[in-house]
Amino acid sequence: MTLVEDFALLEKHGFTLLPYRLAKSEKEAVGAAKKIGYPVALKIVSPEIEHKTDVGGVKVNIRNDESLALAYRDIVQSAAGKKIDGVLVQKMARKGVELIIGGKKDPQFGHMMVLGLGGIYVEIFRDVSARICPLVGSDVEEMVSELKSHPLLEGARGKKPVNKKALQQLILKACNFMQKEDIKEMDLNPVVFDDQGCDIVDARFSR
Amino acid sequence: MKKMLQRLKLAANPRSVAIVGASPTQNKIGNVVLRNFLDAKFPGKVYPVNPKHTEMYGLKCYAKVSDIPGSVDCVIIATPAETVPGVVEDCAAKKAGGVLILSGGFEEVGRTDLAQRIKEIADANGMPVVGPNCLGIYNPYSKLDSVFLPTYKLERPKPGNIAFITQSGAVGSTVMDLAAFYGLGFSKFISYGNSTVLDESDYLEFLMQDKETEIIILYLEGAKDGRRLLEAMKKVNRVKPIIALKAGRGMGGQAAARSHTGNIAGSYLAYQAAFKQAKVTEAEGISEVFDIVKIFDQPKTAGNRVGVITNGGGMGVLTADAIESEGLALAQFSKETEAELKKILPAYGNVANPLDLVADAGVEAYEKALNLLLKDPGVDALVVVVLLQTPPIDERIIHVLAAAAGNGKKPIATISVGGTYTESYRKVLESKGVPSYNSPRAAVKAMERFITYSKYCAELGKK
Repeated sequence: MTLVEDFALLEKHGFTLLPYRLAKSEKEAVGAAKKIGYPVALKIVSPEIEHKTDVGGVKVNIRNDESLALAYRDIVQSAAGKKIDGVLVQKMARKGVELIIGGKKDPQFGHMMVLGLGGIYVEIFRDVSARICPLVGSDVEEMVSELKSHPLLEGARGKKPVNKKALQQLILKACNFMQKEDIKEMDLNPVVFDDQGCDIVDARFSR
Repeated sequence: MKKMLQRLKLAANPRSVAIVGASPTQNKIGNVVLRNFLDAKFPGKVYPVNPKHTEMYGLKCYAKVSDIPGSVDCVIIATPAETVPGVVEDCAAKKAGGVLILSGGFEEVGRTDLAQRIKEIADANGMPVVGPNCLGIYNPYSKLDSVFLPTYKLERPKPGNIAFITQSGAVGSTVMDLAAFYGLGFSKFISYGNSTVLDESDYLEFLMQDKETEIIILYLEGAKDGRRLLEAMKKVNRVKPIIALKAGRGMGGQAAARSHTGNIAGSYLAYQAAFKQAKVTEAEGISEVFDIVKIFDQPKTAGNRVGVITNGGGMGVLTADAIESEGLALAQFSKETEAELKKILPAYGNVANPLDLVADAGVEAYEKALNLLLKDPGVDALVVVVLLQTPPIDERIIHVLAAAAGNGKKPIATISVGGTYTESYRKVLESKGVPSYNSPRAAVKAMERFITYSKYCAELGKK
């Protein structure tokens, strides 16, 4: 399945994704950005590129047509020689706490959900919490409080706490999706939370 | 399955036992097991089964189980793997209560065919089978003991309320030896090996019904059916606390190093999640199992305000540190308690929590302080440091601590840090049912686990 098909299936299951369009040319990209509204991000969409950032396939915070055109060329250049489906034009996400919401089908326990803080927290501190599906609301509360970095979600240093209701809804929805579609692995990474809600920046899954 | 568990009750509390592969030759498994029953003066009937003999230790020896005239509640099998399905079939024909297969040489060496035959016979007859490839069952109440490690090398725990289910015979037997050494009592010890017929979830259900069992220790390497285990743990843990020790946790650690959460969900993370969902208490090692299990006999409390008594300032500070890092709180004593405490302390003493009775404190000061804190409604639990090295403390402290630990209202953990002299006291304290620890951290960690479980029970609306 292509990225756009993946996104479409998620939307069908009630996930709200950041507004996006797939552009096949510079002109299309400019048109898409106009419809979505600046600032936007551009992301290469290629079945041959897994880590988009590593190859220079992602440009963020693009604020006008001129920058967009330049960014588009850079991105296409970065994927030279590879099969390209197009370039994803996506609304810039809100600022806030980056979380990772993952799912997996464990050979013993079946579907389970994993919550972690994005970036170095997951990679270096292995700071994650997990629950076996199906989950109830109190499971999500516990997942949050079990994270060593949970003060960051509670609004450390004068920041407002993240919207727990949105977090709970998203994890429960993801859990539902995992089970309904019998997903093997899923990764909403990152999802940016603030006190108002959240933006799913990237999503992938496999069956 | 219900029928099988019913019959397991009979097999685990047998009045007649057959030992297939019984042997007069020293150090053979069939010899060690037979002598377990003879040495323990098993009150029921013991039938050695071995076609090469007609008599053993003055007992009539039978060629096969179905030759035994009376009923047989429990059959212990210690013959080569190839012969086992035939023996199991014979047990089923005899309508034996249940079978413990000690022999190895099945799934673990690729002989799933043999295991499959055993399972088919067991299922068709509703006959419970423990093992194969295990130590079977030790039950100090009925004196069933199929553990083929000689009692002079591996002590058996006295009768008690702790059941221990273990996949590994090696871990199981050493824990049993340690439990005996520390004076902890067991209700059932079940080493279940390959779990061909019955698995950990079945044993949990069985122990939930077992009247001698109040606390369950579960040592697990890999569950046979994770989903079922989660449901069984949820069901049982709310009635009897389960303390789980999971081995083989390394994979999760490796997986966690990867950036995708999908990969992070290594299997240990799944077990961890399952323990948390069932509110099962997880221990991180064998010594922590002991630390935790011994406090679970104490009265439950839904609060986390801890009162600390000590006769050494530094130990009080270490205890307070541990209380903070484990997320418990230091209790605030009431005005009345404070006024009464002042009378016990020397003029230079300071009424605070931790309450430092100072090194001059004798046994009487401990007794008074304990009684005051037990009465104070602002104190939910007690951690009592007793440094036994100080001159005024003598053996009477044992009775004072035992009385306090048996108060029936608030949980108590005691801490005594020291060498040979202290350790000998600790052993006596443990045998009197006083949870005793040799470090503040171990004591407070165990107390935290117990309070967490107590709170869970309180939420369930039971005492």
